Amino acid sequence: VCEFVNLPSGIMDKSSYRLLQLLSLAWLACRPTCSSITTYGTIIPQSPLVEIGKEFTATCVVYKAAKATAEDIYWKLKNVTVPKEQYTKINDSAVSVTITITNETANWLLCEKKGSPLNRNQVIHGILLTKGYPPEKPVNLSCMAVQSGRKISSNVTCTWQPGTRDEILKTTYTLFGSLIVSNKSGKAHRSSGYIDFGTFPSFMQLAMWVEVENKLGKVRSDILDIYAADLVKTNPPSDVNILSENNFSRTLLVSWKHPIHVTYVTLKYNIRFCTVGSGDWTEVPPNDTESYKESFRLQYLKPDMEYVVQVRCIHHMGYGYWSDWSANSTARTPEDKPTSKPDLWRVIIPSQVKSERRVQVMCKDPVESNGRIQGYSIKIQDGNWETVAVNDSDLDSRSQERKIIPLYQIPWSDKRRGLIELKAWNSVGESPQASLVIPKLTQEPPSVEWLSWFTQQGRLWVKWQPPNVTATGEPYRSEVTEYILEWVSVSDGAMDWQRERRHTRTAAIKGNLQKFNRYNISVYPMYSGWTGKPLTIAAFLEQGAPLEGPSVKVRRTGKNDAELEWMEIPLDKQRGFITNYTIFFITGGKEHSIVVSTDTYSYTVKRMASNSKYVVRVMASTVQGSTNSSDLSFNTLMYAPGQIEAIVVSVSISFLFSVVLTMLCCIYKMDSIKKKIWPPVPDPSNSTIAKWSPDFTSKADTPNESALGDVSIVEVDVFDRKSLCEEDKAGLPLKKDKYLSEEHSSGIGGSSCLSSPHQSVSDSDEGGDEGQTTASTVQYSSVVASCGYKGQTPCPLPQSGSSQTPSFTRSESTQPLLDSEEHPEGPESQRYLRNPYFGRLPGGNNGDSGDLEDLNQMEMKKQGLALRRFCPLEEDFQQTTPTEEGHSPDGQPGPDPSYMPQLSGYRPQC
Amino acid sequence: MSGHVKNMYPQLSISQAARTLLSLLLVAAIDSMNAGIACRNQQCESHIQRSSKLTRLIHMESVDLLKIYKASQGDLSELFCQMPINIVPNPNISGLDPSERMLSIYSHCKAFLPHLKRVTEQQRDLQPPSSPLLNNLTTAQYRTSGLANQIKCIYQTLFPNLPIPLEPVDGPTSIHPSQNVFQQKVYGCVVLKNFKELLSQIRHELRTIKNQMCKSRTFAYTNALF
Repeated sequence: VCEFVNLPSGIMDKSSYRLLQLLSLAWLACRPTCSSITTYGTIIPQSPLVEIGKEFTATCVVYKAAKATAEDIYWKLKNVTVPKEQYTKINDSAVSVTITITNETANWLLCEKKGSPLNRNQVIHGILLTKGYPPEKPVNLSCMAVQSGRKISSNVTCTWQPGTRDEILKTTYTLFGSLIVSNKSGKAHRSSGYIDFGTFPSFMQLAMWVEVENKLGKVRSDILDIYAADLVKTNPPSDVNILSENNFSRTLLVSWKHPIHVTYVTLKYNIRFCTVGSGDWTEVPPNDTESYKESFRLQYLKPDMEYVVQVRCIHHMGYGYWSDWSANSTARTPEDKPTSKPDLWRVIIPSQVKSERRVQVMCKDPVESNGRIQGYSIKIQDGNWETVAVNDSDLDSRSQERKIIPLYQIPWSDKRRGLIELKAWNSVGESPQASLVIPKLTQEPPSVEWLSWFTQQGRLWVKWQPPNVTATGEPYRSEVTEYILEWVSVSDGAMDWQRERRHTRTAAIKGNLQKFNRYNISVYPMYSGWTGKPLTIAAFLEQGAPLEGPSVKVRRTGKNDAELEWMEIPLDKQRGFITNYTIFFITGGKEHSIVVSTDTYSYTVKRMASNSKYVVRVMASTVQGSTNSSDLSFNTLMYAPGQIEAIVVSVSISFLFSVVLTMLCCIYKMDSIKKKIWPPVPDPSNSTIAKWSPDFTSKADTPNESALGDVSIVEVDVFDRKSLCEEDKAGLPLKKDKYLSEEHSSGIGGSSCLSSPHQSVSDSDEGGDEGQTTASTVQYSSVVASCGYKGQTPCPLPQSGSSQTPSFTRSESTQPLLDSEEHPEGPESQRYLRNPYFGRLPGGNNGDSGDLEDLNQMEMKKQGLALRRFCPLEEDFQQTTPTEEGHSPDGQPGPDPSYMPQLSGYRPQC
Repeated sequence: MSGHVKNMYPQLSISQAARTLLSLLLVAAIDSMNAGIACRNQQCESHIQRSSKLTRLIHMESVDLLKIYKASQGDLSELFCQMPINIVPNPNISGLDPSERMLSIYSHCKAFLPHLKRVTEQQRDLQPPSSPLLNNLTTAQYRTSGLANQIKCIYQTLFPNLPIPLEPVDGPTSIHPSQNVFQQKVYGCVVLKNFKELLSQIRHELRTIKNQMCKSRTFAYTNALF
């Protein structure tokens, strides 16, 4: 086994270290190789313990086997080559290196031989560096010995603050204690330890210290030179007891026992107390309890109050440590009679009865009730004292909160002034008397000038200006004696009040106010019991965003506007003062907003697009936030209201106007129109033919009789229009319609014949179907007399035998035949039949008219040629004006025309 | 005798044995008076005050110790304490002036220590290891040693030019080499009885010395302590 020289580093000084190094090198250079493993050199020292932050020097000694010199040696810290500047050549075979140890310094230090360009570097030797810090000095050493049984424990426990650096190396802590008589020590942890002295060294002086040691050194804390009593911490006083004594309602006697015998430690005590549940401890002045005693009388306590008492102790000179507080001991002080007035107040409730109000009298227990209030005695004006008992369930005098006790509710005239007096009583006695004056409504003292509020440190504060009162002849004193602050919750109507002194101008509300709740705060100036007028203001302890948004609805939608309406948010949900409303309306992805004031509850949004969908919501805002209403969708109208009606009316008017214009044009241009429609036809009467009509020589040129069947028979109404109508109306009122139909038909037939004479011509074969009243076209014809009007007696045949030629007219009509035609046997038929023009050509064998018809037929046959000759002139015939009908131009019945158109002409329709 | 005691109480726990060993070490340490911290230059009043309180404590414990001793000796315990024994130091403090009386206190404390040690050894054979008597005897030695050192410091403070003799003023303590159980019980009771009496006298002496020696020096401080 190879032997190496292990030299401690950091402990010995440099000169001795250098000497040892040289000796080692000499020995190593001379020593033979003793291992089967070829070694090329070694590093001194081996596996050193190095201190972080300090320099470390190592020496590499090269053996002959390495075939290297000092120039070939270089150092590496793991993979990093140490610069040559840190090397020191000792001789040809030894090179040392000095490095500064840091936390980052690699653990391995290698000595290598530089290789040839073809060969790799060769490691000659390596050492492992163990880094660490020297121990740090502990500070703030303190020791304690607690009580164990009836004595002080022999174990003294100490604590200290160790160093702040990490303990890389294993470190031991040892606690030492030295007495005059002996030294003691004990193993300790990093920051605490204890020594067992066997017997606690009472009344002795001792020294305590801590030693910290690791491989890099040892360090000792400062010595704690201490008197043994300074270590002592006794148990808390035992058997703490509180005695409540009758007739001593404001004191409690506290007693206890010493936790340890006075020969060990002479103690002094400390007492503290508080009311149950308050946690607000009051300490008895230390001077009162510094003597070695076992009882103390607490004074100036509140009657009928439960107190918690704790006691602790310490060496009477203040050495050592305070013991822990003893366990809670509770006791209640005896009751005493109330020593303050009950808090009397009233609430005025408006009454439905005119000139009357209702007064609710209420009170709170006296601040110093000194016991459980069992009842109240109340007297109103000059009445008797009445007792109002208070149930246990109604009142808990032990609670910190003073409850409001409603006493009376009485009607009170506006013109009445009264004094209310009240006393509270408990099991011991009565309280002083409280009084309150309710003035006449007209005599109420003035209110404060102004009132404001603010919040500060989570409390609601009220500030006011006192009333400006001048001495007058009023029944009350002009000086304000106190103020009453009354607050009423808007949400639930809960109310409370508090009293403030006359000089107070700013006061915090002492009640348990809720956040986001609206309170109506009133300040009443009090004038020696007289209640002044209140001044009220709304306030919030803390405002928040409204609990809900306003309820919005669309009141009206128009083409370009919409009227929105919303309700005010209920007061209990506003959670703050509404600062404004913001209306948002969204269409087509664009949002617009309008801010309106708080007193606005409807708004007409204008400039909206017509026939568009809008989403609307209204946001209510307070200083602390905003809340939106639910979205409301609606569509604007395509047309404004009345717009459609206007269009319809205008179109109608335009149409009517155009119609009227057309009619007027027609009327004014009737002649020209008529001429266009009915071109003028030469009057046959003026024809030269008429002059030669008696001359029948030309008849030889007329077609033969065989062609008669092809001749159209045209029925021409030759009656005068006026006479026909009058006759129809007078004689046949019940047949009016049929008449009109007949006339119309005739007109149509006539018109048809006039406008299109060729179309009106039909075969004579079709005449055989006449008399059928079917829906199909009925062709009928009549013989047109050459003279007379409808209803007139036809001209006697002899007269007409030479000059009149019966003519046949034919009409095409879908109208059924007139009754007179269908039933010619009636009187009317007979009357009609007197007119030969209404006779029927075929089948005219009815009644008395049969002869006439036959005669007409015969005449027709005789005059067949003539008819056929005149038929093409029907149009001209129909153009004849009624004035020309049957009359000569001179107004006298002229000679009978030889053909029909000259006799009757065209009959206009009725 | 030791083997007999061990046979009688084989159920002893390790902790008790350790406590006994600790007591032995403590007693051994008492002999090395210079092992602890040296006297400090303190106020006369404070010195004597602490010593008085320590004396009072040891005296109170010696009363209890004697009661426990008598209770643990069985029958005839009262008889043991009435037997005359010459080898026990006389508890009377001697001397004409405060320095002599202080020196007498110191000598008596030192003189009683070997007797207390002897009684402790004897009772360790007679009593079970868990007996409170042994602990109290050890504590008495421990506190008496401390008291002796405090008296020495006070003496050096009050009379810095007077040497402290190496041997007790009353001469070296002679302890009878061999005693039987009866003699041991009688011896122990007389030692504790005289020890109690000694402490009573030391209390008285210290109060006197304090009044004589410290009144003019630290009057104000005295009032604070009392």
